[in-house]
Amino acid sequence: MKKKASSRQISEFIWGWLFIIPTMTGLIILNIYPMIDTIRQSFYKTGDFGKGNVFVGLSNYKKVLGDAEVWQALWNTVKYALVEVPFSIVIALVLAVLLNKKLKGRSVFRTIFFLPMVVAPAAVAMIWKWLYNSNFGLINNVLGIKVNWISDPNIAIYSIAVIGIWSGIGYNLVLFLAGLQEVPRDYYEAASLDGANSFQLMINITVPLISPTIFFVLVTRIIGALQVFDLIYMMIDLNNPAWKKTESMVYLFYKYSFQQSKKGYGATVVVVLLAVIMVITAIQLVGQKKWVHYE
Amino acid sequence: MNNTISKILVYFFLVAVSVIMLVPFVWMILTAFKTVGETTQVEPFVIVPKVWQTQNFTNVVKTMDFMRLYANTLVMIGFRILCAVITASLSGYAFARLEFKGKNIMFAIVLFQMMIPVQIFIIPQYVMASKLHLTNTALGLLFPGFVTAFGTFLLRQTFMQFPKDLEEAARLDGCNIPETFLFVMAPLTRSSMVALGIFTAVFAYKDLMWPMIVCPDNKATTLASALAKMNGQYSQKYPELMMAALISCVPMIIIYIFFQKQFIEGVTTSGGKL
Amino acid sequence: MRKKVITVLLSVATAIAAVGCGAASSSAKDVTVQSYDDILPEGDAFENSIGSKEGELMVAIWDEGQRPGLQQIIDEWSKELGIKATIQVVDWSNYWTLLEAGATGGELPDVFWMHSNVAQKYMENDLLLDLTDYIDGSVKIDMENYYDGIVKLYQSNGKQYCVPKDIDTIALWYNKTIFDEMGVPYPDDTWTWADLKENAKKLTNDEHWGFAIAPGNNQEGYYNAIYSMGGYVISDDKKKSGMDDPKSIEAIKMFTDMIAEGSCPDLATVSETAPNELLCAGKTAMCISGSWNLSGYRDNEYAVANCDVAVLPYTSSPSDRVSIYNGLGWAASANGKNIDAAWSLIEYLGSKEAQIEQAKLGITMSAYIGTSDAWVESVPAFNLNGHINMLDAKLVFRPYSRDTTVWEDMLIEKLQDAWTGDTPVDVVCKEIAYEMNAALAEEY
Repeated sequence: MKKKASSRQISEFIWGWLFIIPTMTGLIILNIYPMIDTIRQSFYKTGDFGKGNVFVGLSNYKKVLGDAEVWQALWNTVKYALVEVPFSIVIALVLAVLLNKKLKGRSVFRTIFFLPMVVAPAAVAMIWKWLYNSNFGLINNVLGIKVNWISDPNIAIYSIAVIGIWSGIGYNLVLFLAGLQEVPRDYYEAASLDGANSFQLMINITVPLISPTIFFVLVTRIIGALQVFDLIYMMIDLNNPAWKKTESMVYLFYKYSFQQSKKGYGATVVVVLLAVIMVITAIQLVGQKKWVHYE
Repeated sequence: MNNTISKILVYFFLVAVSVIMLVPFVWMILTAFKTVGETTQVEPFVIVPKVWQTQNFTNVVKTMDFMRLYANTLVMIGFRILCAVITASLSGYAFARLEFKGKNIMFAIVLFQMMIPVQIFIIPQYVMASKLHLTNTALGLLFPGFVTAFGTFLLRQTFMQFPKDLEEAARLDGCNIPETFLFVMAPLTRSSMVALGIFTAVFAYKDLMWPMIVCPDNKATTLASALAKMNGQYSQKYPELMMAALISCVPMIIIYIFFQKQFIEGVTTSGGKL
Repeated sequence: MRKKVITVLLSVATAIAAVGCGAASSSAKDVTVQSYDDILPEGDAFENSIGSKEGELMVAIWDEGQRPGLQQIIDEWSKELGIKATIQVVDWSNYWTLLEAGATGGELPDVFWMHSNVAQKYMENDLLLDLTDYIDGSVKIDMENYYDGIVKLYQSNGKQYCVPKDIDTIALWYNKTIFDEMGVPYPDDTWTWADLKENAKKLTNDEHWGFAIAPGNNQEGYYNAIYSMGGYVISDDKKKSGMDDPKSIEAIKMFTDMIAEGSCPDLATVSETAPNELLCAGKTAMCISGSWNLSGYRDNEYAVANCDVAVLPYTSSPSDRVSIYNGLGWAASANGKNIDAAWSLIEYLGSKEAQIEQAKLGITMSAYIGTSDAWVESVPAFNLNGHINMLDAKLVFRPYSRDTTVWEDMLIEKLQDAWTGDTPVDVVCKEIAYEMNAALAEEY
């Protein structure tokens, strides 16, 4: 018996590594090495095109900690995530549960909810700019109000988060539907026989059963939200008074690294963001034991 | 009675969300048939074009070699899906169901990769692709998509969902690890694999930075990057841009509708095996 | 038996996947090396080229609108030399990423556009082919024939790195219909900046504004007024900001006064809808626009039916009418595969005949002095003499330094406070000058 177990262990070791080697090799070469290089750059005052770098120790980090623009960008990013993540997850979860039932036209609905994912990014920016335009936009004209949706510094970041929710629902929905499909049916049948109503069913049965999927969506969605860039880049330009209050961390990194050739400082900004994401993800990984049910 | 009301509420909710989801899409279609002047006119707004400008379609088809772009895009998407599903299901399974030394550290690397903003990779990956002479080639398009941390994490989560006794049963039947994976476990995750396929397709389809840089040649590039080029630095021919966007997303919608069936049917059969 | 077969199959699949993914990684263990040159083998096993072939030149630009015309000119050159050259377009922001990547360890395109924002950096790092000797030995190219500012821009340490490609000018675009409706005569070469301000007021009503300008409209906006009124943005030695010069402040103040009077839209409006978009929507009677916007106006049937062009106003005499200009340059990679062919193409593109052709095809105005007249005919709907005649105005090269974007972005951001009226213009301008001086000091 004992011998058998150890042969099983050896076999798991060998197959485990064989199974992960393709992925790990690719990730290390394509992604991890560039990241390590970026971390290295954050300790340098970088010259042009990676030449003539001067080691400056922690001085970039000291500068970042005292840089009000970085803190503002971090706060903008967090505000964006706080709005986008919960709304896009809750709405998608409700939709997924509804669409998982036998329902007339559900495949039509599923296709409709998927559509925002295939609209070209340039088209997304154009249409939302048109909707939000304070003088001539549809929202203000239909509601008869005058709100500067994307140029009022206090509102703009939330207006952008709404676009994030709009494009994120389809993404979350596909994952939730997949998760629900893999839940064994008999659990439901047992519960509905007990006379539980839909809402109770959802909270008590569905959510725990697909909690690994919810956990996955939560982790990836938060990471994605903290890396928000494209939407802001397309919606807000330097002329916009909301510029400072919408600039995200990745935007700041992009500005320094790609537009102003201050690669070292840009690298430092991104390392700070990475640290924040790591802490938040670590908290989730620890916290999952409380609510995520693996078999 | 109660049932009817809840049904009405459900439909009301679904229709309301659908409308919000559809507005931009409908706007894209309407804009695709307008004149440039109609897109900038503000008082009164032009919602429906006065005359449906079909020459936007002819202009776009004339300037862009859509067949070639479709082909490039589909090759890229197809190969990325294949790579993603194979590598991610193997590694996802190993991370979820096998015990081996070094596993946690490797999984930490997978998670770590997802936390890095993509902008970091662009220049180093381009340098690699250029050294390997992959610029303006089909392989160049696929290059960053050989593996996926996202997919690995997704399938790991899916594999974690299944009861342990499934594997025990397989092992008692005399299955070794690859057999258990291939015949017992992998078929159960069909929905997640389809979901991963959909995501890989959507991400690859929407990615314009990488194809733009690695394949600047109009003959070698993808739909999204060809589209982005149309949107000039100074002149914005919105109707033609929207028309091109419309033409380019039609195949994606068809693919989705096809996949969606797989999604549902695939699962009922695998559920039966449970 | 079946079991064995499956095991073998799966191992093979794993191996294939590993090879596929590891194609780039034959020496993956060596991840600590400093540069990719060391990790990656110079392999051509994957050569499966759809695009550029051996001996063919790759020409990179960022404007799809110019591609068909330029390709036509390049094809003429190919016919003469028997070497093919293909234009590849990368959009503006990714273009610089591509060049940056090429400069960091990849390959630069054989022939490509250079821009004043970054030219200095590329020249100093010897990434561009030094054209000095080629130009000396050429009968077609003489730097005397091009606009001076563009020639100088692409010089570093006495060497010439680019041949000028084009030039742009700034003009006053206006809506004839609004002028007619309000009974104001069309702008002409007698207008002063004071006239502009006064007429903007007359042209304003509930339906539209008289004039529109955003903080980002520098080259096509307040820079022209600053230099016309005797101010400056950056000193000739690129070490000092001129934004706190009283004349510069006066120029900015003229525009913020118009906003305060209501004849110019507020910041929120211009930040959501750019001045040229407002013009095309019939919401403003005038705006200042660069010649590069021409194709945008040409494609907009409202603009074609209602808009036209005049020269910019002057301050006290026509001699102080200013056009801030910029021009791209044709550059070649310093270590391209076929340097002689690259030079030959650049020589052709800079030659008088190709420069005339460029204007004639309506691609852009040309950098070769006196070749742009044909450009006037390229869009019959507008009187493009408004732009061409600006070539006779005082031409001032677009203010730049080694890292232009650093202070230019800051300048635009800060000007927002002047636009909203939250901070007096002179305070804003002094703050800008202070920060700009700091940024310039960091460049050396």
